[in-house]
Amino acid sequence: MPRCLTSLAFVALCVAVQPLAAQSTVTGIRNLDFGPVIRGVPSSVSPNDPIRSGRFYVRHIIGRQVQVRFTLPTQLARVAGGANLPISFGATDAVAKGTAPISNPLTFNPNNTQTFNLVTSADFFINLGGRVSPAAGQATGAYSGTITLTCTFF
Amino acid sequence: MRTTTRVSATLAVILSLAASAAQAQSANITATAVVFQAMTVTGARTLDFGNVFPGVAKSIAVAAATSGRFDLTGQASANVNVSFTLPTNLTSGVNNLPIGTWTGCTNATNTTVGCTVFTPSAATTATAFSGAGALFVWVGGTVTPGAAQAAGTYNGTVTLTAAYF
Repeated sequence: MPRCLTSLAFVALCVAVQPLAAQSTVTGIRNLDFGPVIRGVPSSVSPNDPIRSGRFYVRHIIGRQVQVRFTLPTQLARVAGGANLPISFGATDAVAKGTAPISNPLTFNPNNTQTFNLVTSADFFINLGGRVSPAAGQATGAYSGTITLTCTFF
Repeated sequence: MRTTTRVSATLAVILSLAASAAQAQSANITATAVVFQAMTVTGARTLDFGNVFPGVAKSIAVAAATSGRFDLTGQASANVNVSFTLPTNLTSGVNNLPIGTWTGCTNATNTTVGCTVFTPSAATTATAFSGAGALFVWVGGTVTPGAAQAAGTYNGTVTLTAAYF
């Protein structure tokens, strides 16, 4: 009988903890795409650009907190090799907005860790803009790099 | 008693894990860019209607020797949008000579034979550079002098704007 109690207690607690894992998620939705850029001419993408901005989807639990932290590249690598393209992110290059109609967009610096209190919606999108600065003698071709968003769910 | 202790210990450990159940997840996207060489756009030939007469409309076809031509250079094989700022009148002092019915043609080589016809306008027209990074654009149109059109030399400006896409 006591062993039975132990098992029951364990199962019950596992079930209680499980919803956090099931409901909390972060997903990359859209790549940050600068498209064609010209040698020697810096090019920016606004976080509000509906096509070129990067986009993540984050879902947690209403009433709780999510801490978000970007790992941002400083250079994109030429796909064919042999060159790098500087990329930078400014203080207004990230915008978070909840999915609830009354949610207001919040602009923040993607270089800094940001914590959100989920008040009006349990899920939200984060859009990301940025700037590339090709040199006058930049090697032509395609460049790419990885942007990581890490969410800590509380 | 021993069993009770074990159950309590198990509960304590699990409860402590649940209380500090902050968990981290990560997701990736890719940042991409394609670097192209700078583009050049040159007005290579003036659209020249020559002599026209009052009351007689005159057209210049894109294949004519006096059609307008723009020469572009850019990234080999890259897509490019072209658009135009077009006059509605040529002017000579205070006098206007209506111009319109614009025609256009693009080609990767400097010949109108086999070129791709389009209608020049402020709206973009998609085309592409050749494998050697060349593009040629011809422009024609029609002037319509009035019956009492004042004599004189009329001119106007046709502007081509090009952008990679």
